[in-house]
Amino acid sequence: MDIKLPDSTLRKYLITKATPEKVAEALTLCGPSVDRLHHKNGNSVYDIEAITNRVDTACAFGVAREAAAILPLFGIKAKLNNSPYDIKATDLPERTAVKLPLIVEIKDEALIPRFAAIVLSDLIVADAPTEMKEDLELSGVRTLNNLIDITNYLTLCFGQPVHIFDYDKIKGHKMILRESRAGEKLTTLDGKIHKLLGGDIVIEDGEGRLIDLCGIMGGKLSEVDEKTQKAVLFVQTYQPKKIRRTSLYTQERTLAAQIFEKQPDTKLVIPTLIEGVRLLVKHARAKVAGESIDLYFQKPQAKTVKLDIKWLNRLIGYDFDFKTVTGILKNLGFGIKKISASSLAASVPTWRLHDISIPEDLAEEVARIYGYFRLEGKLPVTANLSVATDPLLDWEYAVKRYLADLGFTEIFNYSLVSRDIFQKANLDTDHSIPLTNPLAKEFGFMRCSLIPSLLMDLEHNQGKVNLPIRIFELSNIYLPDQTAKMLSGLPEERSILCMATQGISYRHSKGYLEALFGMLHIPNISFASVEGNEGPWQKNQTAEIYSGKHFIGIFGAIKQGIRTAFSLNDDIYLTNLDFQSISDLANTDFSYTPISDYPDLIEDITIQSDRHISELIQLIKQESALVNKVGYKDSLKNKHTFTVHFNDPKRNLSESEVTKIREKLKLLGKRGGSESVPESVLPNPG
Amino acid sequence: MNLKDISKQATAGTTTAGTISELKEIETKYLGRHGEFNQYFDQLPKEEKPKQGATFNLAKQKYSAEVQKKSDEIIGRESAREFDVTVPGILPSIGHLHLITGAIEEITGIFEKIGFIRRRYPEIDTDWYAAEGLNIPKDHPARDDQETFYVSDNVVLTPHTSNGQLREMEAMKKPPIKMINIGKTYRRQIDISHTPMFHQFEGLLIDKNIDITHLIGVGNYFVQHYFGRDRRIRLRPHHFQFTEPSFEIDITCGVCGGLDCRLCKAGWLELGGAGMVHPTVLKNGGIDPKKYSGFAFGWGVERVLAMKNNLPDIRNIYSTDLRILNQF
Ligand SMILES: [Zn+2]
Repeated sequence: MDIKLPDSTLRKYLITKATPEKVAEALTLCGPSVDRLHHKNGNSVYDIEAITNRVDTACAFGVAREAAAILPLFGIKAKLNNSPYDIKATDLPERTAVKLPLIVEIKDEALIPRFAAIVLSDLIVADAPTEMKEDLELSGVRTLNNLIDITNYLTLCFGQPVHIFDYDKIKGHKMILRESRAGEKLTTLDGKIHKLLGGDIVIEDGEGRLIDLCGIMGGKLSEVDEKTQKAVLFVQTYQPKKIRRTSLYTQERTLAAQIFEKQPDTKLVIPTLIEGVRLLVKHARAKVAGESIDLYFQKPQAKTVKLDIKWLNRLIGYDFDFKTVTGILKNLGFGIKKISASSLAASVPTWRLHDISIPEDLAEEVARIYGYFRLEGKLPVTANLSVATDPLLDWEYAVKRYLADLGFTEIFNYSLVSRDIFQKANLDTDHSIPLTNPLAKEFGFMRCSLIPSLLMDLEHNQGKVNLPIRIFELSNIYLPDQTAKMLSGLPEERSILCMATQGISYRHSKGYLEALFGMLHIPNISFASVEGNEGPWQKNQTAEIYSGKHFIGIFGAIKQGIRTAFSLNDDIYLTNLDFQSISDLANTDFSYTPISDYPDLIEDITIQSDRHISELIQLIKQESALVNKVGYKDSLKNKHTFTVHFNDPKRNLSESEVTKIREKLKLLGKRGGSESVPESVLPNPG
Repeated sequence: MNLKDISKQATAGTTTAGTISELKEIETKYLGRHGEFNQYFDQLPKEEKPKQGATFNLAKQKYSAEVQKKSDEIIGRESAREFDVTVPGILPSIGHLHLITGAIEEITGIFEKIGFIRRRYPEIDTDWYAAEGLNIPKDHPARDDQETFYVSDNVVLTPHTSNGQLREMEAMKKPPIKMINIGKTYRRQIDISHTPMFHQFEGLLIDKNIDITHLIGVGNYFVQHYFGRDRRIRLRPHHFQFTEPSFEIDITCGVCGGLDCRLCKAGWLELGGAGMVHPTVLKNGGIDPKKYSGFAFGWGVERVLAMKNNLPDIRNIYSTDLRILNQF
């Protein structure tokens, strides 16, 4: 919660010689942060970030109280002044006008911890005093007239929202505080008409009209204006959850709502009311026209928290003595009772009841006021752990590094995607997880595949960079809980590697993949034609990848239709690998093969066959123990040329031995074969 | 051919050689083990060999000298030739790791050196791990700041890596716990300093007698290794539901060295939140807060990246434009 606090307002409650700069510095280090200090017309303004659980610091008095506790530790004297807690009920100005009736009916006491109001008459609506107007404007509040300005000024000073109604506009001079009914309508001061959901705190007048959206904003019907002569000054606290709910759904995030939902001190209600009356008497010639109404339904419970100084010192890592600890706590308003030489009981002041409840809270108070910045850092000494990181994380980095070395650029796409790009990639969104409150349509789903993202990346880069393009992403995908994970109710998060090339041939694209498998030492890699017609893949140019019998991913071409949808004209080859499997299979083992002392004899051999090339390579290797290495060269229809290396590690081979094997190899094609392979599948040489 | 003819041919060949490799070829042709000279000598009748020996060696030596002379000449010519050493090289294909990968690896390395174990926990998690177990009850205003995405009433996209705190306590069962959890996190906001998806690194250390000064020590250690030797941190009061006390951590500005400049607030830049683990959170993780204490911090990977490299707009990190990515 951010507030702007003029230095002049602060100094009504704080007596110190500290400059605004010093105050800002000390507060930032030990209390609410001062994000910025502005200087305007001889005054200064602090931009203060009141920490969420410290609503008591969202006003001049609260900041003064912090400063008065903090500045002495910087060697600067500081004293609180004009505390509202010193205002007594007897300070209320006496009634000087004819008594005007006000009937209050509270339907549910749980809605309102404290309700206070007073009727005033003979008001003269005019400008507020210049000084007050200047302070309000510096604090970012628009000034209107003395009545409204005084209510806002009270909030600036004490952090207690205040409202003022035109008494004559309250029909029957009756206020019924109740929960709203669903469908009821109410127009607030900003002119917005709210259709209420029900369960909001509202006030109804004697004729059943809603005149206040309590704790959020006053109703238009009872608004004070330049003709107002009689008014109800109104100071309350409300049930915080109700306020928060109404404020959120009506989108009226007013200052009042932000304060009320954080439970301001109920003890401040009457002092604020009395100060309000005083200001209205002084600046609007108000006369008190009734007794003050004070319905105090939920009085604060006294609260004590024990603190052991030795424990405190262990948590903070510093040696505080009893006196320093009690001094700091007392300055913050805590009552201290000594239990022993090293322990105490601190009674919590009413304005801190909601944020102080355990010893750790007291430790925070002591350490921050002393100043965290004064503590010396040291590295902890702890036992070393024998647990290891998930190897998946290490393999992910190793692979990313390797692919970058091979010339691939890594991309991070958002996990949040649109339904559209899945449809565009011919993937169904049934397996993507929808968000119930997406930021925008383009971020509606948690993706179940990286493929659409990469195709989109290629589309985005069309015409921007020269071909070839090599990109990859290694990220989690999210799969609905269909399996064992069901028990946890959570989706499965699975690491996937997706690589894409554009302007690179089938064989070269596949080469990257084979190099990667080589680096990872993944055993027994094989490629098999896919069955069925799935998603974005061009069926006859796509292969399932196996390590042994373990399916690990898909490599292939993207269909023409999909390419057109993504405005891609060149051949696109994509790899989609299950990285968990990769991580499980990868290893750093290698086996050593001695180098032969005798040179290889190398022969190009052409075989005519309808078998798969990978099968032919296997057969060539099996043909003779002298076959050392088989390289694939190219194909012309079903004539395939291989470069075969022959070697015997024990001796020189003779030409005639090799010739014999070559003749046998040429016959491989004649010995039966697998189903015929369409010509189009044959890889483009080169 | 007689020795004279061979010498003549050899000399002629040498004269035509333009490069060292051509010269080497010719030299081998004549002076090699099976070169013309040796072949000539080998075919001589046995009785002729001693007679012609001296002449033969002389011819070979003479030719050898010619080759040497030619070699010197070629080398001399090569060295005198004009050559522009500033001609650009031809680049191999160069890939690029993403900035975030680089940063995560760097951060991991820094923390692993002092014994933290790298972890990754779910990005989609139950409300218990992401909020309620972290002492953030349903309807608590602290949920306001989180801008959380929901998958269902009880399942969220984690708005921070702090869900790893309870999960790590459950996995380890007993301190010491030293975790550096790095992962994707999500919040419903997009502007110059926010993207709906981002990364955080969450440090968690729980053991006996862990105090605030240990957090300061580890914080200083990190910023000095990541940002530079002369950097340090400071703690300011803050509030988080899952830590008590809680801190906002600032780092000295690298541009002005802590004096004050346009980029910082009086010499300091905000790094992120931290705190001593709340006793309720320890209890929720099955750890006795009477025996153990700990600290935790959760900082943005993109944030430290942007701070280190002066990136003005965090959204650039998520650009998919290769003209940007290829600069990383
Ligand atoms: Zn600076």
